[in-house]
Amino acid sequence: MGGPAAAPLPPARRRCCDPPVGGGRKERPKPREPAARLEKAKQKSAQQELKQRQRAEIYALNRVMTELEQQQFDSFCKQMQASGE
Amino acid sequence: MTGAAAGGGGGSGSTRRAAAGKAGGRSRSAQPRAAGGGGSGGGSEEEEQRDGGSLFLVNKSGFPMDGQTWERMWGHVERVHPDGGAVAAAIRSAARLARPSVPPVPNYKLSMSIPEWLQAIQTYMKMLQYNHTGTQFFEIRKTRPLSGCPWSFVFLLPGQFSSELKNCLCLQVFSWEVYSALQEICFQCGNNRPLVLRLMETAKEMTRESLPIKCLEAVILGIYLTNGQPSVERFPISFKTHFSGNYFHHVVLGIYCNGRYGSLGMSRRSDLMDKPLTYRTLSDLIFEFEDSYKKYLHSVKKVKIGLYVPHEPHSFQPIEWKQLVLNVSKMMRTEVRKELEKFARDMRMKILKPSSAHSPMKERSRGKSLSPRRRQASPQRRACRRDKSPAVVDKKGDLATLNEVGYQLRI
Repeated sequence: MGGPAAAPLPPARRRCCDPPVGGGRKERPKPREPAARLEKAKQKSAQQELKQRQRAEIYALNRVMTELEQQQFDSFCKQMQASGE
Repeated sequence: MTGAAAGGGGGSGSTRRAAAGKAGGRSRSAQPRAAGGGGSGGGSEEEEQRDGGSLFLVNKSGFPMDGQTWERMWGHVERVHPDGGAVAAAIRSAARLARPSVPPVPNYKLSMSIPEWLQAIQTYMKMLQYNHTGTQFFEIRKTRPLSGCPWSFVFLLPGQFSSELKNCLCLQVFSWEVYSALQEICFQCGNNRPLVLRLMETAKEMTRESLPIKCLEAVILGIYLTNGQPSVERFPISFKTHFSGNYFHHVVLGIYCNGRYGSLGMSRRSDLMDKPLTYRTLSDLIFEFEDSYKKYLHSVKKVKIGLYVPHEPHSFQPIEWKQLVLNVSKMMRTEVRKELEKFARDMRMKILKPSSAHSPMKERSRGKSLSPRRRQASPQRRACRRDKSPAVVDKKGDLATLNEVGYQLRI
């Protein structure tokens, strides 16, 4: 991550490779990248799992609601038949 | 069936039709109301529409669904199912749930005949299942274009973008980089939802997420899967029906190929969705639907036929949902047949222009109607005679009195 900031030199003698005046240090992002990438991958994986869980619940629910609809429809048809008679 | 009111009852007369080959359009009192409030943007109140008297919810949060939408779905289940609480608890707390299989998206092979291909598409839709959960998972905005980048953004660009600029943007063709930049603007303005506004993108999402669908989604999916088959013409067919004091709306994808008509679609009722490619005329197909509706004691009030949907993969055009509107309850069957055949002939000859082609698309706030456009065509026809075909509902008496539990026979 770089050493301590070098003591500021008079402008005329500052070399181009000296660190900038004011103590600003250029951060080195490379070592953080794998951590950020890992975090992102974890988040993506969690999202995928959540999607899969939601999908499973949706289809389980749809099965129940389809049965309900069918029961109600059958009941209605019987009612209609009975009324017709 | 959906809560999409494809233009509720506007205009006088039994027939409304856009003038063939002319600029200017027919009058219409309302834009098609997209399923689940898609005609407007907006908050949760606007999402809730009525489908035959029942609440109609739409997922606008993408996938995975956000907490609010998820809880709303379960809340609806708890209200409508007699054992809603127990059902919800059982499913939501299950440690392990069977993972439903993902049906493979059908791929067209050269060895397939068109009927076989359509059958494969319909089979795929059936494997996704009809959505009985009460929450529509894919947001469909009927006025959106099929594809094409610029249009999608116009409605989401923030207020700083003037209407003039938005209209100008609509006419441009953007590179992917510009598209991405515009997307970023929308995200920064708080629209975290991925921009899946173009209908074909939504169809792709349906194949990716593989969830139950309803009729409007099936139409979009059917268009997507039949794209690139120039011998297969697709056009929407919408129905407005009446049962037990409520109006219902349903839409299927009409198919015309090699001199025959058929349909693709999804419905709670198996005879109100796909029809084989065997009907010689459009009216035969429509009458088949009408007869099927009668079995469920629905009386068809209006039929709306759209134009052929273009096969161009990057079409900016929105789907024309109601080029022809027939108030069938006020027409004799012979009149209906005559109108349908004339329209079908014009469609086959490709001389019809979309009625929306020459006017800018407008977002309609929910509950508001667009003022009717002036027609330049001949005066509207008026129903001169009442429909004398036997009305099953009338002969059997008021269904409301027979339907003690208030069951709405939805389609």
